[in-house]
Amino acid sequence: MLKMIVCMKQVPMVSDLPWDPVTGTLTRDAAEGMMNPACKHALEAALELKERHGGHITAITMGPPMAEEILREAIALGADRCLMVSDRKMAGADTLATSFTLARAIEIFCPDFDLILCGCHTSDSETAQVGPQLSEELNIPSIAVVEDLELHGNTLRVKRVSDNFLETLEMDLPGLVTVATGFHVPRYASMAGLHDAFREPGILTVGAHDLGVSESVVGLKGSATRIVDIFSPVAKKENIVLKGAPKKIVEELLDRFDDKIGSLIRKDLKAVG
Amino acid sequence: MDWVIVQHHSTHETVQHKGAATAVEFDACMKHKLVRKSVREFAEAELGPIAHEIDQEARFPLEVVEKMRPLNFFGLQVPKEYGGAGIDSISYAIAIEEISRVSGSIGLCITVHNSVGISPILKYGTQEQKERFVPRLASGECIGAFCLTEANAGSDAGGVETHAVFDNGQYVINGTKIFVTNGGVCSLPLIFAITDSQAKPGRNASVFIIEKGTPGFSVGEIEDLCGMRANPVSSLFFEDCRVGPENLLGREGDGLKIGLDALDAGRIGIGAQAVGIAQAAYEASVKYSRERQQFKKPISSFQSIQNMLADMATEIDAARLLVYRACARKDSGKPFGKEASMAKLYASATASRVTGKAVQIHGGYGYSKEYDVERYFRDAKVTEIYEGTSEIQRMVISRAILAEPV
Repeated sequence: MLKMIVCMKQVPMVSDLPWDPVTGTLTRDAAEGMMNPACKHALEAALELKERHGGHITAITMGPPMAEEILREAIALGADRCLMVSDRKMAGADTLATSFTLARAIEIFCPDFDLILCGCHTSDSETAQVGPQLSEELNIPSIAVVEDLELHGNTLRVKRVSDNFLETLEMDLPGLVTVATGFHVPRYASMAGLHDAFREPGILTVGAHDLGVSESVVGLKGSATRIVDIFSPVAKKENIVLKGAPKKIVEELLDRFDDKIGSLIRKDLKAVG
Repeated sequence: MDWVIVQHHSTHETVQHKGAATAVEFDACMKHKLVRKSVREFAEAELGPIAHEIDQEARFPLEVVEKMRPLNFFGLQVPKEYGGAGIDSISYAIAIEEISRVSGSIGLCITVHNSVGISPILKYGTQEQKERFVPRLASGECIGAFCLTEANAGSDAGGVETHAVFDNGQYVINGTKIFVTNGGVCSLPLIFAITDSQAKPGRNASVFIIEKGTPGFSVGEIEDLCGMRANPVSSLFFEDCRVGPENLLGREGDGLKIGLDALDAGRIGIGAQAVGIAQAAYEASVKYSRERQQFKKPISSFQSIQNMLADMATEIDAARLLVYRACARKDSGKPFGKEASMAKLYASATASRVTGKAVQIHGGYGYSKEYDVERYFRDAKVTEIYEGTSEIQRMVISRAILAEPV
């Protein structure tokens, strides 16, 4: 039986979340959370493998208590069990501290895995680092941003777009993949699935003590990077809306941009006019 | 208020009496938040792109119905053993709210099917009837309907003229039902018919489960209605339609009791539907008022518009809480008829007021079919009419109030 782990993260539901200029962190309380879209694709890839080959899926997240919601959602969608890694000491973790913590949790609570699936990146911080770093921590091979997954015995064959090429790669298990968005279209949770996901009152939650790690290697203290500054990009270009009758608009367009349009079509529009 | 929803744990909601209560919590629990997000995700992705078109073309979207079937939308509160999801009533209301927020017509299909279409069989059906009919309804293989209204009967259930005569071991049904929600696509409707014209009112009617294909049962033309146009509302005809006693729901003469019971549950659904439509109109209005510029300012900067938005938001919140209160009472096994009527009365009036204001905020564009608020405005009105008019709700509420001990 294929034993899979899907790592997932809760991200804010809106894209333009306010951030705290003092701490340089996002004010996450301002928005509802949701399962990071790429993680949902990773879960879908795992569910499709399970449907084809049989298997068992453990969903894992590291985050604040409210992140329990995405684990319940994973159960509703078809995951078999879940593990919550949550501890105030783990707050403020960068990708290194996150992958270190996840690796220790996996080693202790699901060491006999065959395949770990992560989303290729998160919609809030977009680093795309945790998956590959996790494979380094666990000393297993990994392939990032995969689309199609096929299992042949103990070998996973994946396809991915690399620049303009479609690559087919093979990897022996145990291994890790990060899953691209687009190929494995996530299913919807059924109402029966949602009902079942909340039947068990509690879910397995572990902290730094359970992982046998000290405060100095997790969270902000265990992070190798610091956010020095954070700012919203300032749009330096201005959109110009031309209004009026079509003839007038075309004339104004040519008046304003005859140089640019002329150079594109290699004609001197002033001379034509 | 004699109840509170207490959250002992992030995933559990229970209802307690005031005396036993320790906290009042109005924030949704994690389960209800996730139900809302999940249904919204489905409705926006699958119904959103076609909601305008199916209204304009008065088309029932079977392709979306097919996608809704495996997600248990046709067996929301049906127990697992009959193939349903078995969800609680607040989750049910949230699901109806979220579908209706995108398409009132499909919200209507789902709530009528689940509440008045299935729940009477679950409550009054024999074991054999439950096993025979409920799984087909819960899977969405068959769509249900509830047929009370006739040309001369609606608010006055006593005016029903459709009758069923027992003859040679079978009931022979004759009559015409009108304005049947889901009429054009239903295949297991429940029919309200007079079985004993000599009996006193209240004991003279019965309910029958009719299967599509039964000789003598036919469907009329789809009605050309003001709103809810994607729901195939139609007449149903019964001409010497013969069914066996195994199709009689409950006992002979139980009709009115079954009907009134079904409508109590149904009103929660219509209340939720009205909240969903109002919510859609409100969200569209907030968005539009921020974008629409007049006098070189967004119209949301004008107090007239701000007042309308404030009233809309307040009334929707109040309506939603009334609906959830009725749900909580239902799930705790308490009588909930009065509360369901209050919720339906207030939520439907709210939907009409809010959608009216939404059209006003949108100005000329709101009156155009190009904008969704025009559809919300048309869809909202009927929530004040079906499953008991607002006038009937006031009657139900006042009777309950006046029956309370002094």
